[in-house]
Amino acid sequence: MKLKNVSRYLSPYVYIVPAIAVFVLFLFFPFIKTIYLSLFKTNKMGQAKLFVGGGNYSDLFSSASFFNSLFVTAIFVLIVVSVSMLLGLITAILCNQSFPGIRIFSTAYALPMAIASSSAAMIFKIMLHPTIGIINKLLGLHTNWISDPRYALVCVALLSAWLNSGINFLYFSAGLSNIDNTLYERASVDGANSAQKFFRLTLPGLSPIMFYTLVVNIIQAFQAFGQVKVLTMGGPGESTNLIVYSIYRDAFFNYRFGSAAAQSVILFMVIMILTLCMFHLEKKGVHY
Amino acid sequence: MKKKALSFLMAAIMVAGMLSGCSTQTGSENITESQTKEDITTSAAPVASTTITFWHSMGGVNGEAINALVEKFNKENTSGITVEAQYQGSYDDAINKLKSAQIGNMGADLVQIYDIGTRFMIDSGWVIPMQKLIDEDKWDINQVEPNIAAYYTVGGTLYSMPFNSSTPILYYNKDMFKKAGITKVPDSLPGIDRIGDDLLKKGGAGEVISLGIYGWFFEQFTCKQQAHYADSGNGREAAATAVDFDKNGAGVKTLTAWKTLSDKGYAPNVGRGGDAGLADFSAGKSAITLGSTASLKQILNDVNGKFEVGTAYFPKVSDDDKGGVSIGGGSLWALNNNDVNKQSATWEFIKFLVSPESQAYWNSQTGYFPITTAAHQEPVFKDNISKFPQFQTAIDQLHDSTPQSAGALLSIFPEARQTVETEIENMINNKGTPEAAVTKMGESINKSITDYNLLNK
Repeated sequence: MKLKNVSRYLSPYVYIVPAIAVFVLFLFFPFIKTIYLSLFKTNKMGQAKLFVGGGNYSDLFSSASFFNSLFVTAIFVLIVVSVSMLLGLITAILCNQSFPGIRIFSTAYALPMAIASSSAAMIFKIMLHPTIGIINKLLGLHTNWISDPRYALVCVALLSAWLNSGINFLYFSAGLSNIDNTLYERASVDGANSAQKFFRLTLPGLSPIMFYTLVVNIIQAFQAFGQVKVLTMGGPGESTNLIVYSIYRDAFFNYRFGSAAAQSVILFMVIMILTLCMFHLEKKGVHY
Repeated sequence: MKKKALSFLMAAIMVAGMLSGCSTQTGSENITESQTKEDITTSAAPVASTTITFWHSMGGVNGEAINALVEKFNKENTSGITVEAQYQGSYDDAINKLKSAQIGNMGADLVQIYDIGTRFMIDSGWVIPMQKLIDEDKWDINQVEPNIAAYYTVGGTLYSMPFNSSTPILYYNKDMFKKAGITKVPDSLPGIDRIGDDLLKKGGAGEVISLGIYGWFFEQFTCKQQAHYADSGNGREAAATAVDFDKNGAGVKTLTAWKTLSDKGYAPNVGRGGDAGLADFSAGKSAITLGSTASLKQILNDVNGKFEVGTAYFPKVSDDDKGGVSIGGGSLWALNNNDVNKQSATWEFIKFLVSPESQAYWNSQTGYFPITTAAHQEPVFKDNISKFPQFQTAIDQLHDSTPQSAGALLSIFPEARQTVETEIENMINNKGTPEAAVTKMGESINKSITDYNLLNK
């Protein structure tokens, strides 16, 4: 009787253990270790050596380079999220009707999600080359796309937007097929034109998936790394030194884990606040 | 209320994933550090069959050549040594991987590390000084070119075996020079400035010089002025405590000459890195480019006879500079894995790699120097130099240099090089002054050096 009670009391926890173990090992432990490291300066082996308290943070907040990283990241996220969502939405709407060859088109639009960001960046590096690149040849220009601070960030951002658009296409396609067709029929009977149908039916119908896509896209854009590493290495100057790349540089190139950890914590805060704001907005704009 | 809590939780989990990437590398204690102090004995007895791991950073044509050498060694050695060559990406990638691997104590037996990783490797305590292996085997060190060995010799000890050494040289388009009626190849940056208009107007060049923004060039320009990059005898007498190029004026002089070329439109911004300028040159757009001797083969392949390629010494910063160039490239570091047998096997493999025959082959395939003078007698080398007389420039330039131009050693050199490149880029793109750029370089690098010295006593 008593044993049965105990096992009954314990059994739910036993079921949870595997999942919790994975979380603790790969999420909570690194999380706490990162916060711990952000309070130290590390030696060349990456070991915490000197306790500096908030020193890494105050260093960051007095460094122009860090604010530049934040600023550049903000612009990057803005471009990537808006362009990739727009691309995904347009392509999904275009493919939402049946016509011959639709499979070819929908495959083409979804394909970017199957391309690794680094390999795409390598291809773009050749295409964007000022002398031998195809883009300058087609446009008849001599622009040095990735070495000019005016264009470098836009190039990297557009590449990322294109890469992300594939998965957005998929989300939006799924969202569109969830909207009941009879709604459109009834709207037609009521005399609604296609613009009205789009703004009054399609967009509100898509809003739950739109919200999800927005959140995921923002987080994904903050984490963009491969493109920057391959295409620009954060340059020219520091014009594409996105925060994740700056973290990578500090951690694995300069072996300053303390400063890198502090940047990670700040990035965590920024994304956390952003995400909370979005969940707050969700209540107003999303119709389930 | 419940929903609020839920949404908070969701948000937290979604973003917590971000943090997990950064701190996994730092766990275990470093065991290897103390081990180099232990006595290392190389057995004179024949090596038992074993497998050693060799990390290298040679891709493309050079990678094929290194694989051919490794295969040859595996086939021909009689001790049953198998060398496993692993390509580890760029030099930067390789040294960073090594750092991570050594933390977990699972590195390679032999690694190829770039010139600027030298100070870090010496300080790391992971390595068996090459001198030790040489002395124990009574190998004749005079086989190695003295100007090359000088770079890797600190306090009279040769720490690593030079393997792929190169110097920067100037490549020029002979056809354009002929058309512009220029007979004397410029030997300084002002010299390039003086013939710029002729090359553009008469020679038909699209740009005068495609000058990649590369920290190595900045270092070489400092050598050319016989100035030191860092204090403490260029970081060779002791670990450097600060850079010197901001105080001795060499940095400002280099950047002033660089900026003059850039402002006149002679040296447009072609991007960052050692090979950033090569494509413009090979495509027949620029009349001049600077590059490593190791790029010679690649350039000749790419040009493919479209025009005649000439080579000359790396340019001076002002006409009356008297310094030489220092070498760059990579060297071989034997790691101490406390396995005497593997250590002997590694040494056998190193001896094979630097043998005159291997070096002559290596030189003919890549354009790196043969690091042993005896390789000059090999038929492969003689054939190669008669086929590509351009390479003679590189040999002459190296012999004209002196061990005093060996270049600086700096523990945080990879970072310093990046800083230099960033500031040059800023100066060119934002029309900054050379003085401001050099000041910023100095501040940023000195701060890193101070931090490094403080934390790694």
